[in-house]
Amino acid sequence: MKTFIIDNNIDGLLTALFVSFTEKIVPDFVVDRKCYQGRLDCLSIDISTDFSHAERVKTALYKYGGDDVISHLKVCLLSCDKNATTVAFNYAYLMLKRRENVCNMLSEKAVSDFSFLIQKVLHERHIVLGFLRFEQSAKGIMYAKYVPDNDITELIAPHFLRRLGQIPFIIHDGKRNKIAISNGKSLDFRHTDLPSNFVPSENEKEFHDLYRKYFQSVNIKERKNTAQQDRYFPRRYRKYCFETWE
Amino acid sequence: MLDLKKLEILSDGAKYDVSCSSSGSKRKNVNGLGNACFSGICHSFTQDGRCVSLLKILLSNDCIYDCKYCVNRASNNTPRATAEPREICELVMGFYKRNYIEGLFLSSAIVKNPNYTMEKLFETVKLLRTEFRFNGYIHLKGIPLADKLLIERAGFYVDRMSFNIELPSEKSLSLLAPQKSKKAIIEPMKMLALDKYYDNPLKLNRRKDFLPAGQTTQMIVGASPESDAQILKLTEFMYRAYKLKRVYYSNYVPTNFDTSLLPYSQAPLVREHRLYQADWLLRFYGFSANEITDDNGNLDTDFDPKCAWALKNLGLFPVEINTAPFEMLVRVPGIGVKSAMRIANARKFAKLDFNDLKRLRVVLKRAVHFITCNGKFIGTKNEYSIKSLLIGAEISQNEQLSMFNTSSASLSALTGEL
Repeated sequence: MKTFIIDNNIDGLLTALFVSFTEKIVPDFVVDRKCYQGRLDCLSIDISTDFSHAERVKTALYKYGGDDVISHLKVCLLSCDKNATTVAFNYAYLMLKRRENVCNMLSEKAVSDFSFLIQKVLHERHIVLGFLRFEQSAKGIMYAKYVPDNDITELIAPHFLRRLGQIPFIIHDGKRNKIAISNGKSLDFRHTDLPSNFVPSENEKEFHDLYRKYFQSVNIKERKNTAQQDRYFPRRYRKYCFETWE
Repeated sequence: MLDLKKLEILSDGAKYDVSCSSSGSKRKNVNGLGNACFSGICHSFTQDGRCVSLLKILLSNDCIYDCKYCVNRASNNTPRATAEPREICELVMGFYKRNYIEGLFLSSAIVKNPNYTMEKLFETVKLLRTEFRFNGYIHLKGIPLADKLLIERAGFYVDRMSFNIELPSEKSLSLLAPQKSKKAIIEPMKMLALDKYYDNPLKLNRRKDFLPAGQTTQMIVGASPESDAQILKLTEFMYRAYKLKRVYYSNYVPTNFDTSLLPYSQAPLVREHRLYQADWLLRFYGFSANEITDDNGNLDTDFDPKCAWALKNLGLFPVEINTAPFEMLVRVPGIGVKSAMRIANARKFAKLDFNDLKRLRVVLKRAVHFITCNGKFIGTKNEYSIKSLLIGAEISQNEQLSMFNTSSASLSALTGEL
């Protein structure tokens, strides 16, 4: 068995595809360098990112797969699934091998795996757009902390930039210590190991109380259906949704 | 801003309004706060399993009408409150900025008279859009018998408007809500469906301005004796005639117990659930109301309406997955619109078998009895067996009749007690 060890970004993946075609090696696994654990039965090939090679593969993928293919591959790489890099590789490999757009060939395992993985990431993105809770600081900066399964901060931040207009905000992925910072005009993504020392303004409690009261009063007690609530609003997303706290 | 007590009263009075979706509008953020997301976003889910998407609130619950089924009716001794337009706007802005809500769902009891109430509602949405520069989603409940001009002008500020049809027949409406009339509800719905608002060739941007998310309605189910067939035929008619985006069904929850005109217990929730499933079939699957109801005019409670239809029409099945037209694919139990689209796309490249269908996330447990893959059939053709397999429990076909087949009779037989 062969394993490609790559940098977990789009250029790393595209470089791996370049190597695979030029060296005629089809890997069984493609793994992120940061999470790689050696196996005795595996031949590991370390591939360092080469931007010129990546660019050539990108041009070919655009040609066969249209405008969306690279963004779809990027979404797939954000997945927390341990096989996400391999799945993305297999999909792009199939497209380059067949020299046509394969996105609708769902009977191919590579395509259906890829399609459902990005669907999973995009689904989480969609629900988190609703489940994020901002708090305002005394200086007017909005701050939201959350712990998503997938690395979706880059996917959700542009939504809030459009929505909140000129209000500055910070979105903090507590699992990966990744933050998105907006100054009201543009976005910046960073990693931080510093603990959050955000202090909400004094009237935040008033808004918490109002929303909790609202949440309780719109509930129809005679129609209690917590199974449905749990299905649509999984408990792991409720950590920062204060309205559900007992 | 609104205080806790007022918020509790006004949102409690609005909770029986079921429409809470925030979809259908693409409003952009222009120098203000907020935008609308076309697919809609749910921000929370309450214990009854319903989503919190919009701030669902009444401007006032101080009603002059006395509808028998309504919690806010004039003769009820409940706490009353009225909010000022500015109070509502401040609350919306505060909640929206913190991502608690997707927008506002504003309704009201009839205060003084319909025109006064509609004016207040209009004032609120205008204030929110102009002074507060709010570009999020607004759903406004229209007030029947209010001036047409007021209703029309409000339509340019909000994303969606709805007039509640309340009950599925004119007779029930006159019995349970004597101050409301069919004409008063239908007329504004007709007006909002007029093409002039949507297809004005001289003002191309007008389509975006006037109710971008269209109009909806809702009716109470289980408070009056109408059958599911009557409800679905009315729904079908309204989709066609008034270009509605959605019809919502609200399962009757008894709140007033001083009248013999209303049932004392709520209708089973499964009825509301089946009506929503049937409504989905009308809108996206090409079914008609006549096809999906049984001989008594009701929906099957054991099976979803599509499954019940397929079991009644077993002669049309099995269909070959690799050649069946799309319209037939969506009629197969276990295959939804998305799965049918995936199948239609995938079969252009290769012949599909059962493993492929599994990969396409088709619910094979249900679908196998109604399809073939490359001529291969792995389901069962006997209607009775299909039913028992779908229900997931064995139904004994040859049950021995017993004199004591009720639990009380068995107990009586054992103890000898009569």
